[in-house]
Amino acid sequence: MGEIPEKHVGEAGSHKQHISSTASLPDQVGNVGRRTMEELVEDICASQGKTQLSLGPLEKVYVFWLAGMSCDGCTVSVSGATEPALEDLLTGSIPGVPLVILHHYVLQLEAGDHYMRTLELAEQGKLDGPYVITYEGSIPDENLTVGGEPFAGEGSLPLFAPSEERRRVSTAEWIKRLAPGAAATIAIGTCATWGGIPAAYGNVTGSMSVMDWLGKDYRSALGLPVINIPGCAPVGDNFTDAVQAILLFLQGLGPLPEMDELGRPVWQFGETVHRKCGRAGYYEEGTFATEYGDKECLVEVGCWGPVVQCNITEKGAISHMGGCMNAGGPCIGCTMPGFPDKFAPFYKAPPGSTVSSNASRLMGSIIRPLRRISQRERNREIRWHDTVPSGWAMEQGDTSITHKILEFFYERMQFLGSNRPGRDLPEEKYPTGYRSLPKQVYGENYQVLPEERAEKAAKNNK
Amino acid sequence: MCFKNLPIEFDAQGVASLKGGVADPYAYQPREIKRDKLEELMARNGHIKDVSISPVTRVAGALSFHAVADLQEKKFLEANSVATIFRGYEVILKGRDPRDAIYISSRACGVCGGVHSTAACEAIEMAFGISPPPLGTVLRNLALALDFLYDHPLHLFLLAGPDYSQVVVQATNPAMWEKAQVTDAPNAEVHQFKTIGDIMKGLNPLSGKLYLDGLKMTRVPREAYSVLFGKYPHPQTVVPGGMSSTVTITDFNETYTRLQKMMDWTKRMILLWDDLTEFFYEYNPEYKKVGARDANMIDLGMWDDEYSYDASYARCNEWGEARWATPGVVMNGELVTTKLQQINLGLEEFVEHSYYEDWTQNGNIRFQTDPAGSPLSPNHPWNKETMPKPSKESWKDRYTWDTAPRWDRQVVEAGCYARIWTTAAARKMPKNQFMESTGHSLKFHMPKTMLPEMDFEWKIPKIWNAFERNRARAYCMGYNLMIGYTMVLKAFDLLRQGEDKVSTKFEVPKGERIGVGFWGAGRGYLSHHLVLDKGAIVNYQIVTPSTFNASPRDPFGNPGPYEEAVLNTPILEDFDKPSDFTGVDMLRAIRSFDPCMPCTTHIYGGEKEIIREVNTCACDAEG
Repeated sequence: MGEIPEKHVGEAGSHKQHISSTASLPDQVGNVGRRTMEELVEDICASQGKTQLSLGPLEKVYVFWLAGMSCDGCTVSVSGATEPALEDLLTGSIPGVPLVILHHYVLQLEAGDHYMRTLELAEQGKLDGPYVITYEGSIPDENLTVGGEPFAGEGSLPLFAPSEERRRVSTAEWIKRLAPGAAATIAIGTCATWGGIPAAYGNVTGSMSVMDWLGKDYRSALGLPVINIPGCAPVGDNFTDAVQAILLFLQGLGPLPEMDELGRPVWQFGETVHRKCGRAGYYEEGTFATEYGDKECLVEVGCWGPVVQCNITEKGAISHMGGCMNAGGPCIGCTMPGFPDKFAPFYKAPPGSTVSSNASRLMGSIIRPLRRISQRERNREIRWHDTVPSGWAMEQGDTSITHKILEFFYERMQFLGSNRPGRDLPEEKYPTGYRSLPKQVYGENYQVLPEERAEKAAKNNK
Repeated sequence: MCFKNLPIEFDAQGVASLKGGVADPYAYQPREIKRDKLEELMARNGHIKDVSISPVTRVAGALSFHAVADLQEKKFLEANSVATIFRGYEVILKGRDPRDAIYISSRACGVCGGVHSTAACEAIEMAFGISPPPLGTVLRNLALALDFLYDHPLHLFLLAGPDYSQVVVQATNPAMWEKAQVTDAPNAEVHQFKTIGDIMKGLNPLSGKLYLDGLKMTRVPREAYSVLFGKYPHPQTVVPGGMSSTVTITDFNETYTRLQKMMDWTKRMILLWDDLTEFFYEYNPEYKKVGARDANMIDLGMWDDEYSYDASYARCNEWGEARWATPGVVMNGELVTTKLQQINLGLEEFVEHSYYEDWTQNGNIRFQTDPAGSPLSPNHPWNKETMPKPSKESWKDRYTWDTAPRWDRQVVEAGCYARIWTTAAARKMPKNQFMESTGHSLKFHMPKTMLPEMDFEWKIPKIWNAFERNRARAYCMGYNLMIGYTMVLKAFDLLRQGEDKVSTKFEVPKGERIGVGFWGAGRGYLSHHLVLDKGAIVNYQIVTPSTFNASPRDPFGNPGPYEEAVLNTPILEDFDKPSDFTGVDMLRAIRSFDPCMPCTTHIYGGEKEIIREVNTCACDAEG
């Protein structure tokens, strides 16, 4: 593992089979491996031999990751993804899923014009496979920078030209150039999906989302509007999960990945984060955190979970671990189009909670005591009657008459229409068949503790 | 006396005042950039190459670099660091409820997950006059130790690593690759890579073991981080006056397990980077000049002592020096101060070569002094009012969205290496069983894991270059790990004492308040300067490590750290003709700083409206 076949290395022109062969270009500045990441991936795959079995029409897909007004947080999140893992997608290691050739400024081997050249080839339709664009960050309104450098620039054109002849190209321009030919356009993170923080009140750069920039009528080469995977930062697995689902569908293997009216994968964003929150039970019982660090429901210290579509409490943040409310962080709605202004100021209870949390407080005041009574009984073995033989137990034999009465009716209801375990009803067809043997052997009072049985035996002997 | 250039003097009690008899003490005459000779040379000589790398990849965010290389003399004649994005975060913060600052400023950078939220939090705590309970501070420290345990491996194995891989070395220095294959790695027994060639193979992108393990190991600390703080990046449990994490024994145990997992791997990786560094030095001592600069650096320290930190400006010198990483400024390898107030006073930002207008010209200087009464420059962040001025790129005039922060009007660099350096030199680290600052080194002891217990010592290097930055970063993994481990033990201890409170109650004050968060990012220095009035933010300024490192020339004619590092870099790669030149040595120099552009260029604090021009469109994008 790790060794790249030597014949491919350092020999100019040895990549004739690649359309993006870079070693023979007139200038090598930035091409430190004398081949691009795309060429390197092909070399790695070639070193593993030819594949015989084909599981679908697609062999490889290029993914161009562009960033505008971004913090790189989406990139960082996706680098943590394990369902599937980023490195497995990028090395074609998942059966049925085409090789994903990721063109990403944070990971790319080459820099400068050699890096930008692949984008130009994509625009010109010269790649040997379909491409997807993934955009991270919001898109600034570059009309505001006319005559100056763009707010968000990536690369300069024309390639390989002297610096005085070049102009820096905005990422907004790149997306306009690449979106029409893309098989799909995926906006990742809340900046790209809805505008996010750069587009909040006070927005000086005219920032907006990819949908806002491309318009309602935009359709990709496959006829798809923009796919949105929100979150600030998004759960990294939501991205790789969606990409794998889409690719498996295109291969004719997976089911149709359903999107909602805002282009979000339904299976990821169809539920509110509160529904699967580990603290939702506290809400139901009407108990709320009053201080940061408390274990109860966080609504009254600023959590918007009940109205926010997100899956982090279920999916976790990374490797199925963490998640905002799971750890104690109130939800500030970072997956939602209204983020941040419609959730500000943070740490303040959402106004709607005044009605709903008081309603659940009222409801909880009834439910809670009832649950504690039945919970107490569920904490007893069937052979504990008056004694709990635990050295840890604070009180023993504390069963009150009221409790006994309540439990009597509770048990009736519990087994209403069904049989109690250890049944002797209905009449057994086979006398030795289902009879509960211990009862036969030990008699009626077999379900008691050894101590109790010894006492009873002593009594009987007398 | 820590200042050489600023007009500030200190009396016997250490009270600062302006030097007497100077009319306009902070005034300066900007120096122009002269390029005539260079342009003439470029026109005349075929071997002078204009090198433009746009974008520089394998860095976080949007960075471009321009240089002029003399391919015959094998050196660089000009270097320009260009930040190509601007987002305007501070104007978004202006006028908002201060409670919003934590989670909004967090989004300035998603590379180190929670550094901005914590810095904002400390600034707010100073302004509100509150501070966290002990467990709150310990948790905060733990978060930031885990943060860097993801961040440093990401840089060493995914961003910088490929520049030292077989793929790159074989393409740019074939003879070195031959030599590497037959050179035994001295620490092979520990790290399991027999030769230097094996290490280089390990660093190959997407196929090498070191690359893939590096990627996987970046997830381990992030798992612990997510368990304790919700998610990574942008943790959701940072609150003014502490944390909102609900801590359980399971959370700490899961963290403990992950630290243990990192321990074994970190032991191996520190020695591996030692081996790689020494190999380059031995192969060709000229490599010691790649990315070289004088050792001038700045750090604010971090990881507060849970009983000293009270968030006050008045006592910040004391609680600063009690930190687990000591604040400090290093000039020519010597520590000149460890006092946060002095570090703060020396800070200025300049915009002569950036796409902003100079705010000091309009005469509205908010503060003449800091809260302690010491003189404050009009160019200090508390006084900053930056006005963006999108202009055309010109190497003689303006060429970047980054500003030029300076300390005492000198160029300083920031980094985790600055943090380990100031801590090693200051001998102020709290007493503990694992780490010791000796004045010339930082020693740390790592307990037995699968590997036996091991002692490490990062010695303050005699030379300062790209390799030393990377090596120090590898040692910082061990340093951060032992900080993280110490914090878990501290948390256990506090819980044993029944100290389980993690936050303090607070109210948003209505009067005028001023605050600063002195903190650190994965890449070093981080400050948030904040002014509040009537319960709203009136000014917010962020200075990040890459604001320093990626800075352009200052008005005194000094190039920024990336620029200076490239200017000192010899061209050591092999090439037959000028068109085969790749610039790998220069890229190694730049990447050794671990550039992080997202947070470098958020800066905006002005009121000026940009006039929309609808007639012309230079970007084609609407066409």
